[in-house]
Parts: sequence; C-alpha cells; structure tokens
Amino acid sequence: MECPVPECKQRQPTELGRKLKRVRPWVQTGFLGVWLAPVGQWLHGIPSCVFHCYSCPLSSFACPIGVAANYAALLPVTMEIPYLLLGVLLLVGAAGGSLVCGWACPFGFVQDLLAKVPVKKVALPAWVGYTRYVVLVGLVILLPLILGFKGIPFGDQVISICRLCPAGALEAGLPASAQSVMAGHGWPMSWLKTLILATFIGSALFIHRPWCRIFCPLGGLLALFNRFSLFHLRFKPSECVECNLCRSRCPMGVNVDKQVNVSGCVRCLECSTCGALEPCFALPKDNSKPALPK
Amino acid sequence: MQRVPQPPLNPALRDLEGHDFWPGFVAALIGIILTFCGVRHLTAVDTVDGGNASETQLIKAFTFDGLQYASKVSSPPPPRGDDPEALERWARKNREAEAPTWKVRVDTAAKTPCPT
Repeated sequence: MECPVPECKQRQPTELGRKLKRVRPWVQTGFLGVWLAPVGQWLHGIPSCVFHCYSCPLSSFACPIGVAANYAALLPVTMEIPYLLLGVLLLVGAAGGSLVCGWACPFGFVQDLLAKVPVKKVALPAWVGYTRYVVLVGLVILLPLILGFKGIPFGDQVISICRLCPAGALEAGLPASAQSVMAGHGWPMSWLKTLILATFIGSALFIHRPWCRIFCPLGGLLALFNRFSLFHLRFKPSECVECNLCRSRCPMGVNVDKQVNVSGCVRCLECSTCGALEPCFALPKDNSKPALPK
Repeated sequence: MQRVPQPPLNPALRDLEGHDFWPGFVAALIGIILTFCGVRHLTAVDTVDGGNASETQLIKAFTFDGLQYASKVSSPPPPRGDDPEALERWARKNREAEAPTWKVRVDTAAKTPCPT
C-alpha cells in the first residue's frame, strides 16, 4: 500500500523520542544492577516485578512466576494466599502496566541486545500474545496444582515452569554448567534445558523479544493493566500527520496506529518518537499530565 | 528503518486513550495494602525451629529449597545381612515411630540453591 501522505517519509523522530531511545539502555543497565546485586541476597523473601530467576547466583529478589508456581504447588497441602506477591504485582501493574517490561526487565534487556544483531526480523501475528495466558494458567497455576512439586519431565522439587524456563537456563543453569565444566565435571544442565536455551537465543536473533511476545506469563499479566494504569500513552490528534512513524518504530508489532494501550505493548515508548503519542500520567482532575518534559 | 505504510485512518476519529485516574489509583492502593499485609503476614506453615513462618520466610524457602514435606521424610533403610533380630528391631522401631504432626514446614536456615 502506498502512503497517501506526502510528508510521511520526511517526518523525523521528535527530540523526546531521541532522548528516550538514548536513555532506555542505560536505565535497563541500571536496573540490572538492582536485580543482580549480590549484597541483596536477603531480599530473596520479596518477589520482584520482573522476570528474573532466583537461582541465579547474583539474584537479589525472588522470581514472581517461580513464587506463584510454588504457591500453587503448596495448595494441595495448605491453603496460603500470596499477599506479598499479589500486592507487588498489583502495585506495579496499576502504576505503569507493562512499563517494567520495557525498561526494567533483565530478560527483556538480553533480548533487546540480541535483537541488535543485524538480521532480518520475522513478523509475528498479534494472536501469538495469547499463548502467554495459556502458559500462565497451565504451567504456572494448574500444573503445579495437580503435580505438586514434581515438574515436567517428572522430577523431585522442580516446578514445571522452572524446568522449562529459558531465564533459569541462562541465569542459573549456564553459570553453574560453566563452573562445572571448568572444574572438569562435565555439563550438568539437562539436554532439554540446553535445547530450550539454544532455541531461545537463536530465535531472539530473528524475532524481537520472542519470550516476551509468545510465552512470558508475567508480561501477559502486567499487560492486562495497560488499559487502566496510571502511566499510559495518550494520542494527540492535532500532532498526527498520518506518517505512521509510530507503527514503524514499534518493535513488538503492535498496531500503534489504531490503539496503543494494548496487551501486546511493553511500553518501550519507541512509538512516542512521532510526537502524536505522548507518555502521561492519569490525574484526578485534569485528564492526564505529560509524564516527561519535552 | 522500513516505514510501514499508513492505512486509511482519520486521526480526528481515533480514541485519545486517556486513562481515568481512579481505577489505577484504587488498584495501586490495594497493591500497597496487600504488600504491607504480606510483609507482616504469618502463614499457617510451621518452621523447623517452631512457630509459624512469615510470608517472606516462606518465599525465601522456595528460592533456597527450604520446604520440607512430611511425606518425603523417609524411614532408615533396613539392616543388611540375615540377622533376624536386627530386622525385628528395625520393624518395631518403624512401627513405634510417631507420624509427624506437620505436613510441610520451612527450614529457615536452608541455603541450597533451587535445583532449577
């Protein structure tokens, strides 16, 4: 389809958009220091709001998905409500939706870095995002509820989602395996997990954030808040020249030109480069206020 | 960057997507209350040292393989050899051994990395 707008190709990213693009990797690196702080081992009793394996030797918080699956596995024995987990996720979700996915998640950052390899990217249909809810309900809640602490493939004390999680393979399995190889004890990580890790790294080169878009149960959960979170993106019709820079910049394949606060968005704010989409906070009187100065 | 062509769309007719303050605020407030309650909450799960485990101790037990299940507490293996007396003693001891009153408990001192 030919673009009917003559100035479409000439439209350049706004200063705010350029600034956000420059700053985002540094913010992600800064958060890496929070999630990977070795001094924070005592914080393992508190679930984080990002996808990050608590078996990583340097992890400081507990993985919310691992904690949720453990609570589900505990249900046949004793009924416990995860107040802390629900509170953290509700607070983070209501405040920013999936903003933490785009700006704070270490696993998302790894995928962003892998996506920088100049290879032609594959576009995914929007419906693949619903797989995240299948993973959330099936692997994180139902399967541990049925199997208890046995995972797939059956084993003791291993939750299914942890058994299959590429973040666990990358952040915990890989360091442990490297240590074991250096000590001359061979490769201890299971073939299944090694295969999952290799597939994940391979696919992250060709698909932007494959884990976040297809499988991440935490991203799926936080994205549900995108429709009413305090921080959100607002469309300004007066600024729109139909150049479609917003949609062209979106690495997640969201149809930003139609609707932006949807479940497929990780709030990387790349779309705000056109100037017609503005990051803002909802306020009680005035409808919303710009979140960032221009 | 490859520019995606614009489909026929009238910006004036598009939803502004401005969010209302109250739903987000109420949800965030509930989140704060739940977080506060969670930090102070004592679970029904016992600790090895006695007393109830707090929620943070329980989560820490998940991450450090610190959960102990009564169903997994195994009896000592039978004695080797053909000594019938030793076998009888072992069987009597097993019969007399009291079943644990707990189903699951938390070892707060556990430091084993999760077997992920």
